[in-house]
Amino acid sequence: MKINQQINKSTQFKVLSEDQIEQIFFASLEVLEQTGGQIFHEEALTLFKNSNAVVNGNTVRIPPFMVEEALNFYPRKITLRGRDKKNLLSLQKDTVAFGTGSDLPFTYDRETGERRRTRYQDVKNAGKLVDALSHYDFLMSHGIVGDAPNPQTYDRHQFMAMVENNTKPMVVTSVDGEGLEDLWKMGCLIQGGEEEFRLNPLFVAYIEPISPLKNDRTAVEKLLFAAEKKIPAMYTPCPSSGATAPATMAGMLVQSLAETLLASVLCHLKNPGMPLIMGGVTTLLDMKMSTYSYGAPELSLASAANTDISKWLNLIMFSTGGCSDSKILDEQAAAEQMTSLFYSYLSGANLIHDVGYIDHGTNASLESLVLNQEMMGLVKQFGKGINTDDDHLALELIEKQGPGGEYVTTDHTFNHWKEWYLPDLQDRSDYETWVANGSKTMGDRVKERTQDLLDNYQPKQMTQELKQELKKICDDADKRHA
Amino acid sequence: MNIDFERISELITKGQIEQLQEQTNQAIETGTEPAILLNKGLLPGMDKVGQLWRNGDMFMPEVLRSAKAMSKAMDILRPHLSKDDMGSAGKMVLGTVAGDLHDIGKDLAGMMFEGAGYEVLNIGIDQPNEAFVNAAIEHKPDVLGMSALLTTTMPRMGEVINSLKESGIRDEMAVIIGGAPVTKEFADEIGADLYAPNAGSAVELTKQYFAQNNS
Ligand code: B1M
Repeated sequence: MKINQQINKSTQFKVLSEDQIEQIFFASLEVLEQTGGQIFHEEALTLFKNSNAVVNGNTVRIPPFMVEEALNFYPRKITLRGRDKKNLLSLQKDTVAFGTGSDLPFTYDRETGERRRTRYQDVKNAGKLVDALSHYDFLMSHGIVGDAPNPQTYDRHQFMAMVENNTKPMVVTSVDGEGLEDLWKMGCLIQGGEEEFRLNPLFVAYIEPISPLKNDRTAVEKLLFAAEKKIPAMYTPCPSSGATAPATMAGMLVQSLAETLLASVLCHLKNPGMPLIMGGVTTLLDMKMSTYSYGAPELSLASAANTDISKWLNLIMFSTGGCSDSKILDEQAAAEQMTSLFYSYLSGANLIHDVGYIDHGTNASLESLVLNQEMMGLVKQFGKGINTDDDHLALELIEKQGPGGEYVTTDHTFNHWKEWYLPDLQDRSDYETWVANGSKTMGDRVKERTQDLLDNYQPKQMTQELKQELKKICDDADKRHA
Repeated sequence: MNIDFERISELITKGQIEQLQEQTNQAIETGTEPAILLNKGLLPGMDKVGQLWRNGDMFMPEVLRSAKAMSKAMDILRPHLSKDDMGSAGKMVLGTVAGDLHDIGKDLAGMMFEGAGYEVLNIGIDQPNEAFVNAAIEHKPDVLGMSALLTTTMPRMGEVINSLKESGIRDEMAVIIGGAPVTKEFADEIGADLYAPNAGSAVELTKQYFAQNNS
């Protein structure tokens, strides 16, 4: 018998102490109480006016007790279900899922090597790869459907491109409330009705405030619609430290938490218990290039801290990782993507998006998605930590093999080596073997794998009827907006 | 009184706003020619800032502090300057197009123009096409700047240019556009005069444009 044992079943990682989380939380409450947020949406303002909040014009100030009350109502677990019923994804504390980002305006054409605008087929291809690659748990569009017939309805076509080749759960972006409503209708058709969708949603709706502390009409419209239908939704602040948020990480965290908490009160006033998810792309404005950085280490640091806060608040967390500022998929991209994959994973965020982004969120690369598959594998292995039970301590074995013994042929090795990470595209060969195999770089192998998957992987298709029904929603939207 | 123009330039590069305002006021009170103050003191200061910035020796917060100093000094100086004195540093109308709420890039560009001595009228985000045209009619800017960050809102920029043509005022101003999904090709396609990939180059390109077109 041993007493006072603490066993780490996985690697432990935390940025903030509980006292620091409380400091940030109380500071956010003060921001909502004293500074408040601006809202440009009539119904939302009315909801606040009829509550204990103080409304002056478009500015809403909220007493802390309203926040504390609202926070009691959010689910700590949501189970998403992909188009293929076996693709279940439970969002709950410390369960990590990886997925792509969305809406990249440009794509590197894999044939010409040139940057061009992203198209429907590119989104379909991204969906196919994400379906095939095991470490991706959910899909965002990766690119934007730039060749949609009408910019005002592109979101329906984009969703169509996503579901055509992908059977996993999703996170979707939409143009406005009406767009989200159409996506939801499409989602309900796929899940087999509104009730099924409510129990196991196909997707989470991606919605954003405008930092600092502003909430525009379309964002609020989407949020209220999501609340009404109980569609899981994240309200994810995208502050750039030094430009739209304080230049200190703590200040940025305070402000973005205030933005999240305002949404939590609003959703609660609209429909208590709606599945709200906390979010954040918390990064900085590069002060040399004036770009919104996806490769800065501060993104990883602030995101991990934000995840610490989310757990303390019992909110499901949508975070960011696997992304880079590099213009192409090169050494810089791999270094930056790996850094944020690593820390986002260790932080225990529940949905980690933007995996594969390059060029600070403006350029799509299918090859980047394939490279990140391998990197996610490496990261997940590290997260497993060290098992220290008797079998793993291997005392008996060490004694048995003794000084000068060997382990290659033992049963223990035979049974345990499979716990290791098995490289896929990573090369660990000796020099001669590498040369004999064509002296290929990681980039070469990634390219080949990408082509192979695009040529040969066959995602489960939808029935023609379902496709027609979905298409009708797109067509109707196009007609309405003609 | 002898004005130390180098000192004025240095106040700009160091972004010492209050001291620069004081010195500018003093210079005017003691009868310094405003155009000389502009050309020998303020503009060389901002040129230096531009140089340091391009070389990577100065960073955004520092550049914007200098730009603010310049802009505050210009507020004092402007009433005393004739159109000719101002040279290329004229008036700008600036905004983000309809349906688009992104404003950081636009605001940075605006501040850089202020830093170059421009009077910038920032009409804000999500501005309908007419707002650009009306502002152009009312304020007669030398430069009209538009920003769009969404593939879906980019077409608005071409529409504004067409409306300017219809109103018969297109040729009275240079049109400059920018934003993440915008490209040089797109700018050419819609008939904008200038495309700036970033805020720093926006001012430089505009200066070059006027230098070429006025000679
Ligand atoms: C007049 O002369 C000039 C001259 C130069 C000019 C100029 C004018 N304007 C710009 N420039 C140039 O100089 C500047 C400085 O060097 C540069 O300006 P930028 O603005 O490019 O650079 C800034 C200094 C830093 N960059 C930024 O601030 C933009 C960063 C990214 C991440 C971004 C942010 C932060 C935001 N966003 Co938005 N956002 C993205 C952006 C991705 C990216 N990397 O661009 C982009 C642009 N967003 C996108 C999307 C999809 C959206 N966003 C939305 C909202 C937001 C926030 C509100 C959260 C926030 C903006 C906050 C704000 N106050 O501006 C939504 C739309 C809202 C709306 N109607 O506008 C929403 C639609 C998301 C949704 N579904 O809700 C994508 C566009 C996709 C597309 N192809 O159209 C996007 C590329 C990100 C992505 N991959 O998803 C140059 O472009």
